[in-house]
Amino acid sequence: MNTIADKDYAAEAAVCQRHVDSLVATHTGIRGAVIATTDGFEIAAHVDSSVSVAKLAAMVSSLSALSEAVSRESKIGSSRDLMIDAESGRLLLVDASTGARKRVLAVLCDNRETLGQALWAVRSCREAILRELEGH
Amino acid sequence: MKEYKLIFTGRMGAGKTTAIAAISEIPPVQTDVTNNDRPAHAKATTTVALDYGEVTLPHGDKLRLYGTPGQSRFDFMWKILSEGALGVIVLIDNSAPDPLADMREYLDAFRDIVSSSRAIVGVGRCDTHPVPGIDSFCEAAKEMALSVPVMSVDVRRREDVLLMLEVLFHQIEAAEADEALS
Repeated sequence: MNTIADKDYAAEAAVCQRHVDSLVATHTGIRGAVIATTDGFEIAAHVDSSVSVAKLAAMVSSLSALSEAVSRESKIGSSRDLMIDAESGRLLLVDASTGARKRVLAVLCDNRETLGQALWAVRSCREAILRELEGH
Repeated sequence: MKEYKLIFTGRMGAGKTTAIAAISEIPPVQTDVTNNDRPAHAKATTTVALDYGEVTLPHGDKLRLYGTPGQSRFDFMWKILSEGALGVIVLIDNSAPDPLADMREYLDAFRDIVSSSRAIVGVGRCDTHPVPGIDSFCEAAKEMALSVPVMSVDVRRREDVLLMLEVLFHQIEAAEADEALS
C-alpha cells in the first residue's frame, strides 16, 4: 500500500479521513473520495472495495501534475480544478494544499449528483479541511 | 518529416529528467513534485506523470522524448507512454542498492519494445560506483534472453546522451533490416 510512514501525517490523515467520511456520508451521489500527496501517496480515503486506493492515489497525482503542466504550457496560470466527465459519473480533482504540504482531493460522483452540486460539495469539503489543518 | 517517439525509463534518480533536459531543443515539459518518500530516495522532487522534450535530427526528422516516472506505483504511465514508441532507453543508477535488479525490472516492464531490439541501457555514476561492471549488465540481459547494448553514460553531458541515441538508432535500423529480411 502506498502510504507515508511519517508521524506528522498521522494527525493530518485523521483530519482528512474525518472530512472525506463526512463528505461521502452526506451526499448520496458521491461514491468515494481520496486525499493523496502530490507524489501519489494515500493520506485518507473512503471508497468501496472495487477501487484500488493505492492506484487511484498515484493516478490522481499524475493527473494533477499533468493539469498543472498543461496550464503552465498554455499560459493560463496555475491549475485549480480538474474534472473527468465519464459515462456514468465524474471524477473531480481539487488542490487541497496548505503551505509546503501539497495534497490533492479527488472525489468520485455518480450521475445523481449534478456538476454544480458536486463542485459545491467538494469545495466545501476542501475549505473545511484547510481551515482545520491551517488552524493546527 | 518523420516523428519518432522514444522513452526514457529507469528507477527514481536514474537521470531521466536530466537526460531529456540535456538534449531537448525546447524547454522540457516536467511534472516534478515534492518527494515525500525520502527513505526510498533523498531527491527533493520526483516526476509523477512524464517529462517531454524534442530533438531535431540532422535530416529534419524529429525525436519526441518522453520520460516516465520511476516508481512502480506509476506503472500505468509506463503503459500509456510506451504506446507507439519506437525505442526505449533504460537508465540505471549504479550507486543504487541493486542496479542489476533495477535493469531487470525495467527491461521486463518494457519487454515488448526491448525484445524487438529497440532498446539500450545506459549506466550512470560508474566513475564513483564501478561495480557491477558493464559486462555484468550484458550478462544479466543475456540471462533474460535479451540482446541489449549497455554503455556507461553521464546524463548531464549532452554528448553522452546523444551518443546513446545514436547507438539506439543503429540498433533500430539493424532490427528493421532483420524484420525486412524475415
